[in-house]
Formats: sequence, C-alpha cells, structure tokens
Amino acid sequence: MTARVLVAMSGGVDSSVAAAILRERGYDVVGVAMRLAPEGSTPAVSRRRGMCCSHEDFEDARRVAERMDFPFYVVDLRAEFGARVIDNFVSEYLNGRTPNPCVMCNREIKFDRLRERAAALGADYVATGHYARIERDPRGRFHLLRAADATKDQSYFLFTLGQLELSRTLFPLGAMTKAEVRARARQLGLANADKPESQEICFVPDGDYARFVERAATPGRLRPGSIVDIKGRALASHDGVHRFTVGQRRGLGLSAQAPLYVREIRARSGEVVVGPREGLASAGLLARDITFVDPESVGTGAIAVEARIRYRHPALPATLALESGGRARVTFASGGGPAVTPGQACVFYRGEEVVGGGFIERAL
Amino acid sequence: MRIYLDHNAGAPLRPEVRASIARFCEADEASNPAAVHRSGQRARRALGQAREQVAHFIGAAAREVVFSSGGTESNNLAIRGVAGAHPARHRIVTSAIEHSSILAPLEYLAGYGFEVVRLAPDRDGRITPAAVAAALDDDTALVTIGHANAEVGTIQDVAAMAEPIARAGALFHIDAAQAAGRIPIRVGDLRCDLLTISGHKLGAPAGIGALYVRAGVALAPAMLGGPQEAAMRAGTPNLLGAIAFGVAAEAAAAHLPGESARITMLAARLLERLGASIPDLRLNGPKIVPMTDTTTDSTIDRIGNTLNLTFPGVLGESMLIALDLEGVEVSMGSACAAGAVEPSHVLLAMGLTRDEARSSLRLSLGWSTTADEIERAAEIIARVWRRVRAAEPLNPVVSASTAALAEASR
Repeated sequence: MTARVLVAMSGGVDSSVAAAILRERGYDVVGVAMRLAPEGSTPAVSRRRGMCCSHEDFEDARRVAERMDFPFYVVDLRAEFGARVIDNFVSEYLNGRTPNPCVMCNREIKFDRLRERAAALGADYVATGHYARIERDPRGRFHLLRAADATKDQSYFLFTLGQLELSRTLFPLGAMTKAEVRARARQLGLANADKPESQEICFVPDGDYARFVERAATPGRLRPGSIVDIKGRALASHDGVHRFTVGQRRGLGLSAQAPLYVREIRARSGEVVVGPREGLASAGLLARDITFVDPESVGTGAIAVEARIRYRHPALPATLALESGGRARVTFASGGGPAVTPGQACVFYRGEEVVGGGFIERAL
Repeated sequence: MRIYLDHNAGAPLRPEVRASIARFCEADEASNPAAVHRSGQRARRALGQAREQVAHFIGAAAREVVFSSGGTESNNLAIRGVAGAHPARHRIVTSAIEHSSILAPLEYLAGYGFEVVRLAPDRDGRITPAAVAAALDDDTALVTIGHANAEVGTIQDVAAMAEPIARAGALFHIDAAQAAGRIPIRVGDLRCDLLTISGHKLGAPAGIGALYVRAGVALAPAMLGGPQEAAMRAGTPNLLGAIAFGVAAEAAAAHLPGESARITMLAARLLERLGASIPDLRLNGPKIVPMTDTTTDSTIDRIGNTLNLTFPGVLGESMLIALDLEGVEVSMGSACAAGAVEPSHVLLAMGLTRDEARSSLRLSLGWSTTADEIERAAEIIARVWRRVRAAEPLNPVVSASTAALAEASR
C-alpha cells in the first residue's frame, strides 16, 4: 500500500512544493493547514490584512491541493498552540528572556500534536517545507542534517526532533535550493510560486512583540522597572522587561557617548542592565532542556561540538559538558564568544549534522 | 465507492431530476418567462408548471409560491420582508437553534432596534409551544421557527404554536428546509403565514428554493427590479432550477411514504451497530423509533434520517477527516470562513459542553442511502473511531494567554 503522508501547508511556496513533490513521488498526500493563532491575537484594526493562518493563505494552499489533486483540510489547533507555544512565549518574555516560538511550535505542534493527528488519520508520515535533511544510516538510526542550501538551512529550528519524530518525518526540500523550489513551483503551475516569504513570527504579523505580550499577559504580570548601568546607577525607567533583549542596542531611549547595549535582564527586580559593547561577549553559557537527536551517539564527558546560539549566527567551536537536570555547560573554544541571549536555542552541530541542543539559561 | 451521509447539507440529484435537466438542455428552451414572444410563453408555462408542482408539494396555491435562490434567500425574504412591511411592531421571536440564515438577518435587525427573542431549547432540541406563546406580546411582528432541526433532527410542534401567534396578531414563519421531503408538509394544517423550502435538500440542484407566502400577507421585497415573483423577488427566474425543483418535489412526495420509513430503519440500524461497537456513544436529540411511519404518525418528534452522535474520547474534526479519507462523508457543526469546523451552536444551545460538541458528528441519510452502505459505514466508523481514539488522546487544554487575548480584543 502507498504510504500516506500528512503535509503541513501554510499557503507559502515551500510547503506547497513539498506537497507537490511527494504527490509526484506517488505518496498518498493529505494536505492540512493549521489554524494556530487564537482569537484576538491580532488587534482588530490589523485583523483583516493577511495575517497568520489567514483565509487567503489557506486558499493558496487549497488551490495547490486542487491543482495537484489531493485532499486538503483545515485543522483547528488554536487551543494547543495557545497552551504550548504562546503561553511559553509570553512567560519567557515576562521572565526577561527572548524566546524562539518556531522551535517550540516544531517541538510541540508540528512534530508532536500533528504527528498524533497524522496517526489518527492513518498517515505514516508528517511532511513540511522545512529546509533540512533526514538520513537513515545502515544501523537504522536517523540523522538530522543541514539543508543543501546553506542560506535557507532551518535545521536550527528542528533540534528537538528525536529518533521517533525523525522516523515519521519527511523534508522533501532538504536537498533543494530556494531558487530550485520556486522554479519547480512555476513549472508545476502553482499560483504562489513567487509569493514573498513571511518574515515575522506568524502570530505577531506586525512584528510588535512587546505589544503582543502586553495583550496576552495575565493582568499584573508585566515587570516595569529601571534601566541601570553596570555600576547599578539608574539611568531611566521602563515599562516592562519584556521590551528588552540581551544584546539589544536600539530603542533604549538613552543618550550616551558610546553606544549602550543590554547586558542583562533581571526580571525579578525589573532591572535592565546596560553597558558598552566591551564585556558583552561571554566565554560560554548554561543551557537547559538538553535533548539529543540520537542519545546513543553521545558519549559521556566533554563533547566537542559547534554551537549555534541564534538562527542567523555561525556555529562556533565549543565544548559541551552535561550537568544534572538536563542542563549543559557550553564553553566557546575561542574564549570570548558573541552576546548570549537567554531564551534562544543553542543548537549543537558536528559539521553538517545536528547533534542536539537546548535553551539558553544564562551566559557564563 | 464513497458513502454519502450528508443529505442534510444537500442531497444528490434524484434520477427524475437528472432526466428533467437533460430534457431541458436537449430542448434548448432557456428563454425568459417574461418575454412576450412564443419562446417566452413556453418558458412561462414551464415555470408555471414547476410552481404548481412545488405548491402541490406543500398544499399551497401556486400563486402563494415565490421562487428564490434557496433556503437562505427564502429565510431572508421572510424576515426582512416582514420587518420592512410591518414597521409598527418591533419584536421577533425565534429559537437559539435556528440556521444561520435565520440568526444572521435577525442579528442584523437587532442592530436596527428590533428586539429579538431567542428561545432556548431543552436537552433534546425541543422548543415548546408554551414557551413561544409566553414570548408573544402585541409588539411581536414575527415568529420564526425551524420545523425540523438540521443538526439533530428534532421536529417542533409548529402546528400547536400557530394559534397564539395569530391571536397576538403576529406572522408565523416556518423554516421547513430540512423537514420537507422527510415528513408531509401541509401549510393549511400548520397554519403558518410563511414557509421556507429548499431545492437541493430534495434532490434538485442548489440555487433554487421557495418561500410560501400565504395569500394576503404583505412582504417588503428582498430584491428590487422587475415585477417577477409577485414583485417580491425581482429578476429573471431560474427556470432550469425551478423545473428541477418541481420535479424533485413531485418525486419526493411520491416516494415519501416508503422512503421515510426505509431511511428511518437504516438510521436505526446504523445507530444500533455503532452503539454495539462504541461504548458510551450518545445520540443527541430525541430517541429514534425504527418502526414509525412519518407519513401517518403525527406524534413523532424527530426526522428519522439524522443521527447526531457524540463519540467518546475523540475530536469530531479528526473523525470527520479520517472518515472522509476512508470514503465516508459526514459533517460537523459549521465551517468557518477559513474552512475549519466549529462546534455546533445547536448542540451548545441544547446544553452540551464545548468538548462534547467538539466530539460530535452529524450523519444524515437520504434517498440514495442503501442498506449495504449502512453496513459498510458502520464497520468503517467503528474502526476509524478506535484508531483516532488510540492515536490522539484528548487532553484538557488550558491557555492563559488565549484567555487574556480574548479579553484584550473585547
């Protein structure tokens, strides 16, 4: 029997081509668009325009399904997305960290909740338009690899996937470049071949995270306080720690001779510490919720990896030392690494391969 | 072969209807019934014959039948027509379990100062005549009640509602889109002023419907233009649709006695088989009684073709999609603009929790349903239910941010 695959479709060109390719390869393709953003997540004024999971995006996906002749459904995962992605996003910001909701969405929704749904629908696989590769070695172990197109590589967002998830996942675009994907879409006559990419977090389409957090926070949870220098002198007051990111320079509303950067956010006291660029770099970091793609492949003791501490950062040589409670100490080989932002994912690579990762707790 | 169990959304074309459409296309007589020439006269005769057939189907006079584009337009014409023609009265009585084509125009009128009373049903989806009577006053312009509920199949005792409504000087509209073809409809017995029927629920194509307007009742027109349809609905009539509708109505009436009993038996059989393989399966709405003949038994309180079922431990959305992938076509609540399914407002009004409503599906049988399909459907549904329940456990979901966002956007 043909394998059935549930393809998560956003209406964009990547997931559309992913679905089309699988259809051409003979899979029993079932397209789904996920309704994720909860009611009221965008202010009424901007709600009409092309928003996350908007009607227009779903229609684009639907047209691809019609053209390629496979069934297509809209599924409502708003409740789970709210509980498992947005709640975390909001509380991370309120705790002075800078979350990465795409990582959480992959971990909680696309490769967990949707995988369950796939099984319920009799599907063997979940497929997405992510740029990353999955390989199965002769021993039957699965490996997660960077995409062939280094400029589009999205393996960073997928580090939480383990053996179970990878065994049930297909990334049809992993070996393609974006240009090839667009060319393929045009060749297939897909109407969204030249659709621009979405840049923002899907449930905050206007990019105003601070305002979103203020709307989504339970009353009384915002943490206003002072902006202080490294000696603890108050320079100004602010409306909430959620408005700041470690490493941020712009928008502090301060005038100083040398540019000031956010060095640390103390959510409990509401203090945002700023200082000059020097001293922003750290020697390492502490990460929590460490997972490995293949735990069996990881030895004990110090592990040499390349650590990527932000999506658009190069992976830097580092040593990984596991600690208790799912934590790990990451020490950069070259001593002073880049500004470390708590809340972001720290992903461990070995060359092309994703070894695992965790979430940054603090700089060391 | 796909098994179509969504007749309440629209029935497949009846064979008699297919034949009539083919004849129409062969004869190439698509002229304007308002035209003076001979082609126009032939078209007018065909339209008149269709009107006779539809009128006969509900026990009305032909001149009391206004053709429309379907149930939604008929409901809009009834509600907005009464509101426009009787400006002295401001109260409209309805129920919380009506179709959106009733509730939305009423919502609209509420914005223009009308007082809309939405009666709550009991647990089985029943609206009592006493509740209707109690809601009337001398400011009441209209009472609009659905004869048989589309989602659970409950039949309302509309005949018993008529007298107090008339005494209060209000008009009575019945939305019989789901009842027509499943139980006999005689407007004289129901003593209503207005009654909606829809073509595609009877096996005609979508795009044609009718509103019965009792002789002497004035309505403000829904569409302004030419004098067609007694000036209540301007525009060149949908002649092909009307012809198909007339044939469908005639066929439905001819088949009704045997068909209704046969379909009720099949629904009862399906329910029995599903109940045997799915513990705690629940039928929403009144009990189904297999041996009733809806054409002779006036005490029945449900149409026999509709099974609204709450499946324990699964999401209706998953069941709906999984069943579709296995070739069994059913429905759930209503679709939002984006195409996702929302829990049924009817079930919520009947007192089901949101979770229960989310686990509920509507299976509706009709003229095309066969005994073999029911046996196969019973097997597939039970198998799919077991798979969905095992693969996708239902966990309670609480999200603080979702609640805060809903509050913030209020």
